[in-house]
Amino acid sequence: MAELVLAACSSHAPMMASAREAATREQQEVFFGALAHLREEVDERGVTTMVILSNEHFTNFFLESFPQVCVGVGERNRGPAEPWLGIEQGWIEGNPELGGFLTAGLLAEGLDPAFSHRLDMDHGIMTVYQELDPQHRTKLIPIVQNCAVPPLMPLARSWDLGVALRRAIDAYPGDERVAVIAAGGLSHWVGTPRVGDIDEEFDRWFLERLEAGEVRSILDMPDEEIALAGNGAHEIRSWVAVAAAASSDPASPAPATVLAYAAVEPWITGMGVVEFP
Amino acid sequence: MHRCVYDYVRANEQGRPEAFDVARYDLSEEEREAFEDRDVAAFYQLGLHGVLLNRYCREIGYSRDDYRAILQPFAVVEERRGRWQS
Repeated sequence: MAELVLAACSSHAPMMASAREAATREQQEVFFGALAHLREEVDERGVTTMVILSNEHFTNFFLESFPQVCVGVGERNRGPAEPWLGIEQGWIEGNPELGGFLTAGLLAEGLDPAFSHRLDMDHGIMTVYQELDPQHRTKLIPIVQNCAVPPLMPLARSWDLGVALRRAIDAYPGDERVAVIAAGGLSHWVGTPRVGDIDEEFDRWFLERLEAGEVRSILDMPDEEIALAGNGAHEIRSWVAVAAAASSDPASPAPATVLAYAAVEPWITGMGVVEFP
Repeated sequence: MHRCVYDYVRANEQGRPEAFDVARYDLSEEEREAFEDRDVAAFYQLGLHGVLLNRYCREIGYSRDDYRAILQPFAVVEERRGRWQS
């Protein structure tokens, strides 16, 4: 049987790869130190497949057709899409058996994900995957979510996505050790007059909810309220889904451990990392 | 407009700018002027999605500070408050 052996969330920003040195030394040590800890966990726990959830940034889908969720079920996917990112472009091995099983499991649970046999993975997934496995040896199932183009999946539905994802992982008959990772957020603004602002108060409040295992108490947040922490803050959907997936009993959410937080202005994003037990 | 800007950015990101031809797109006069003038403020006012606006600015060589300054006249003071705000 498959086993979920690691659940964690990390902010992403293209500049964490392309302009790493723009952050202060202390910010780099805090943020990348936390990701180095997760990288060790990936090794020590023998992760065989990572499932990484992140925002779709018009890399695979456009306005003509825009799924709320799309599971990468292909034998391989390509990334990063951005040649300037500072990560070598190439093919990353997928896990079609598990990816297909997860897709079927989500369908059986009432979610209706799209699927793709070939996803292009942009900075959203690749920056975090690169930190967790610089050799790109771990099989990767990308799940892209719509966190950018209204109408968006409600936060409560993202929780349901995580619950269903966990049930599907637990039900998989194959011998896999799975890590479920969120890559996105926290507060940031993109393409607006507030680009560069960071709402540290929101970020710390959200992280406190995760630490307290209280994510369910904020699932009623409407998009208009989330947007007060920036149009990029909608990416907390991935964190909410992973918070749900982290516990085998959704009625008893697992409290997260905050490994890092830094408001990294050169990366225009509140950069946090959490791990679930 | 969105498709036009997206295709422009993608063609340039992929190192094949010759693949893009603005004449293929059914743009309004305002949209065409914004494209021809590389008018970031006009694109913002026309409602170009923020993710695309960010990518477009990167493609034409604007830093975030550059386009933040261009967009500042359109900043709106937010009076609503989130539940996290003390």
